[in-house]
Amino acid sequence: MISEKVEEYAFGGLVAAIGVFTLVDATTIAARADNAVGPRAFPYAVGALLVATGLAAIIATARGKLGQAEEGEDVDADVRTDWVTVGKLVAVLVAHLVLIDIAGWPVAATVLFFGAAWTLGAVWWRALPIAVVLALVVQVVFASGLGLSLPAGIFEGVPFLDG
Amino acid sequence: MDSITALLEGFATAAQPTYLLYALLGVTLGTAVGVLPGIGPAMTVALLLPLTYTLDPTAALIIFAGIYYGGMYGGSTTSILLNTPGESASIVTALEGNKMARAGKGAAALATAAIGSFVAGTIATVLLTLLAPTIADIAVTLGPADYVALMVVAFTTVAALLGSSPVRGLASLGLGLFIGLIGTDTLSGQQRFTLGVSTLADGIDVVVVAVGVFAVGEALYVASRLRHGPIEVIPIGGKWMNREFWSRSWKPWLRGTFIGFPIGTVPAGGADVSTFLSYAAEKKLSKKPEEFGHGAIEGVAGPEAANNAAAAGVLVPLLTLGLPTSATAAVIVAAFQSYGIQPGPLLFTNNSAMVWALIASLYIGNVMLLVLNLPLVKMWVKVLQIPRPYLYAGILLFAALGTYAVNFVVDDLIVLLIIGVAGFFMRRHGYPVAPLVVGLILGPMAEEQVRRTLQISEGSLSALVTSPFAAVAYSVLAVLLAVAVVVRVRRKKAKVLV
Repeated sequence: MISEKVEEYAFGGLVAAIGVFTLVDATTIAARADNAVGPRAFPYAVGALLVATGLAAIIATARGKLGQAEEGEDVDADVRTDWVTVGKLVAVLVAHLVLIDIAGWPVAATVLFFGAAWTLGAVWWRALPIAVVLALVVQVVFASGLGLSLPAGIFEGVPFLDG
Repeated sequence: MDSITALLEGFATAAQPTYLLYALLGVTLGTAVGVLPGIGPAMTVALLLPLTYTLDPTAALIIFAGIYYGGMYGGSTTSILLNTPGESASIVTALEGNKMARAGKGAAALATAAIGSFVAGTIATVLLTLLAPTIADIAVTLGPADYVALMVVAFTTVAALLGSSPVRGLASLGLGLFIGLIGTDTLSGQQRFTLGVSTLADGIDVVVVAVGVFAVGEALYVASRLRHGPIEVIPIGGKWMNREFWSRSWKPWLRGTFIGFPIGTVPAGGADVSTFLSYAAEKKLSKKPEEFGHGAIEGVAGPEAANNAAAAGVLVPLLTLGLPTSATAAVIVAAFQSYGIQPGPLLFTNNSAMVWALIASLYIGNVMLLVLNLPLVKMWVKVLQIPRPYLYAGILLFAALGTYAVNFVVDDLIVLLIIGVAGFFMRRHGYPVAPLVVGLILGPMAEEQVRRTLQISEGSLSALVTSPFAAVAYSVLAVLLAVAVVVRVRRKKAKVLV
């Protein structure tokens, strides 16, 4: 419970901080000095809104009004947050975006799908072939069907995979 | 009767085999994402945006409209057959429908939901056909100040009146407006909030933001509290339709339609509010109110009809004013813009053939959806049972793919990840994500209109409120806010008494 409150404060603080950044950075936008409304006015309004709502969220938290976590069909409201899983998924996404330019999209996509499915509890020997097939099928569809080519990477020059 | 001729021409276009296929593709995808937890129509449309650049705009919009309507149908199947609370718009359906399914009357619940959606969807589309051209004619006369007023109304209702916490809704709106500011200012050519990063100079693509908050945010959130173990789908039991079914269903369908459509049309709530109102109305009018809470068919028929009618109603301000009042509608506006088309009063004059083909495809899509969701419902039960690790891995993969396909640069994936993590924390702490998306898309439009207004008035702020239309809009908003405050205070008092 305590950690949840800390998180609430932090998120409210982040909203307010973005607001302060908006207000400060808006002063650096070059604007002509005439009576027309320039490119600064709207940012000021948005910054003020963010600061006000961020502070209001902090006050609401202090008064015990915590935000209600969203419900969903696959969300088990009774279990504790599994931070390890969230961390692993973020890591898998980072690996994906790093690998695209190095090893090509098919490899990066295989890593993403397999990594995510495995993290979420799939059996590895079933998840791996599915990931490979899915990545290759998408690659072929893009290269041949849609005329948009995803970087083939290690498959460069291979027919059907390199568009 | 110009619009009848135009509609017939629209049917002639939409009935061409290729467009029929696109409509079928759209409604099938829409039902699938409606059935599946974790993905919704807003995210699906956003994901498909980069892939449909090569299609002509009419085809793409027919697909998107199919996804939009299909999502509404699919959601009810899930909330009736799955043991857990469902998608926001159909939570009320889960209340009664789930009970019916457990009592062995699942077939009747599915049938009343599907047929009710069809009846409501069709009537509401007729109303849309009749109303939209007239509203567009009036809307042509609106000035920039009037648009500002309409957008302020939309911002306030989406952010502050819906959801449990107005503060968090407004904060979400503010974040969306802020993301909309990033990039090059269209009027002065100045860069704003780009931090000197060249990727940010063109602004952050709507697709990246929508996919980030909906797909990545949702997947991370669900993963953090994933329900493990087998997926319990209630077997479909009982008779599909009998005399009692029809006699108890038809009135709620019609009432639901006429509750849902107006609520969808005015920017004041969208699907959620209409289903709750319809449910309350049916409970009050029922001869057997004691059945409510234990599987009353009226409690499925009414809200499902209201839900679909509201979805069609949302298209009225969307097509005639360019004003999105839900997250999906906002993404559809972005879809129009990606083809260089601005939805609004001029749509019916400038892109008449396209818009009528789109409306005709809504009628056709509704018929397809009835077939897909009634005789073929067992197919969706299979879809519902996709093992969750693969489902969410797939969502993440296609989220990354859709984002990458926008510009084919890895930087977009970094932005996607940041926004996804933000979406995760927003869900944890009750910040609704819809206002963010609406703010992102409406924000730049609102800024432009404000600046145009003030340019014409030479800086006099009173120009924003002196136009009669704007004055009326602000007064209505003030009344709405007052009502909302009173309702909240009363609810609190009621809680104290209980």
